[in-house]
Amino acid sequence: MTDETIMEAVKRGELQQATLLFERYNKRIFNFLARMTMDRELAEDLTQNVFLRIIKYRNSYREGNKFQSWIYQVARNVFSDHYQAHKNKFSNFVDVEKISDHMADRAEYEEQDEKEKILQRSLARLSEEQRELLVLTRFQQMKYEEVAQIMDTTVANIKVKVHRAIIKLRELYFEMEKI
Amino acid sequence: MEKEKLEGMLIDYIDNRLNSVDRHQVEQELVRNPEAYKLYEELKEVMHLMDRSARLEPSIKLKNNFEALLAEELKSEKKTKTVFFQPTLFKVAAAVALLVICGSIGLYIKQQHQLIADRDRELKELQLQTQKMFAMMGNDQSASQRIQGVNVSLSFAKADDAIVDALVKTMNEDPNSNVRMAALEALSRFINEKKVRDEIVNSLPKQKDPIVQIQLIQLLVKIKEKGVVDELQKIVDDDETMHAVKDEAYSAIMKLS
Repeated sequence: MTDETIMEAVKRGELQQATLLFERYNKRIFNFLARMTMDRELAEDLTQNVFLRIIKYRNSYREGNKFQSWIYQVARNVFSDHYQAHKNKFSNFVDVEKISDHMADRAEYEEQDEKEKILQRSLARLSEEQRELLVLTRFQQMKYEEVAQIMDTTVANIKVKVHRAIIKLRELYFEMEKI
Repeated sequence: MEKEKLEGMLIDYIDNRLNSVDRHQVEQELVRNPEAYKLYEELKEVMHLMDRSARLEPSIKLKNNFEALLAEELKSEKKTKTVFFQPTLFKVAAAVALLVICGSIGLYIKQQHQLIADRDRELKELQLQTQKMFAMMGNDQSASQRIQGVNVSLSFAKADDAIVDALVKTMNEDPNSNVRMAALEALSRFINEKKVRDEIVNSLPKQKDPIVQIQLIQLLVKIKEKGVVDELQKIVDDDETMHAVKDEAYSAIMKLS
């Protein structure tokens, strides 16, 4: 069964089917939000919120639309609403130096190599848009076409922006590596 | 090669997105340009780090919370449906009931509007007739106009004070006996109203026109107005009263006593 068929069933009132969508997407959405917020606990709360919205506002899902694009759009809205509600942008209150504490649990933290930690800190210094583009295209390995659909823009535009984000990340990463 | 173009091509080269011509061009650049090669190495490291980055695992709390959320949603959904929207029969019944209620309200409003419109029309008609009556009764030059004016009041189901006063004045003071007779006749239609009754009784001593006097006496007998006996006696005793009027007054005294 495709995601779209399941979502249409949920829309018709077969709410139990939402479990299938949760199984397929909860880790991806959690990872997206964890990379965006740099805070696992907060990412879990926001992921929960995404699925709550999917169920509550199921009637706003337009049949025939790609479910993946829709759920990521919901996730982006949840993320953006959270920071607007707190009247704070990510870069204003996340302590970049403590990101690893927020991101990894204790066991993972021990294993996380130094390069990975520098990568996380470099990502945290990118603009929200650049971080989002890299999370979607590199960490989540989405195609430019899929990201363009989620962000409602052209593939060419996404490609240019992703390239700029990678260049910027490289710059920040090797700056931090020298420290 | 221009730096920005080189960066873009290097990223695509690492991602294996270039056609053979571009790939060859990049490889040539990497061989002859150490700066480009350094950039390539750095980009590759960062990109591969992101690609290989471990997938984060959510805690079991996420799944548990989702299940609780779904259960809650299913519960509230079921509740809503049972009470209001299921089964289909209820939907139909609700639709029919709504239709009947809306229809009744619509009909009621329409009837009310009709009633108000009718009443307004009647009121307007009455005002027009009253104005017409006053205008004709005020015509000093034409007795027939004044009679016609008085006759307009015959079409009224009820008479207000202004109409009664105008008819009483005409009955008592109009110079033409036919007009006075017409006014008396018009007033007799409203004889059940106390004001009209009192005015007719009070009019008896004022009337000197024999025809009107006789008709007035007949009317008072008809309504069994016993309070006028003394006044009737005065008419009988008055030497100036015409014989026919005296007879009528005497006869009335006999009937009312």
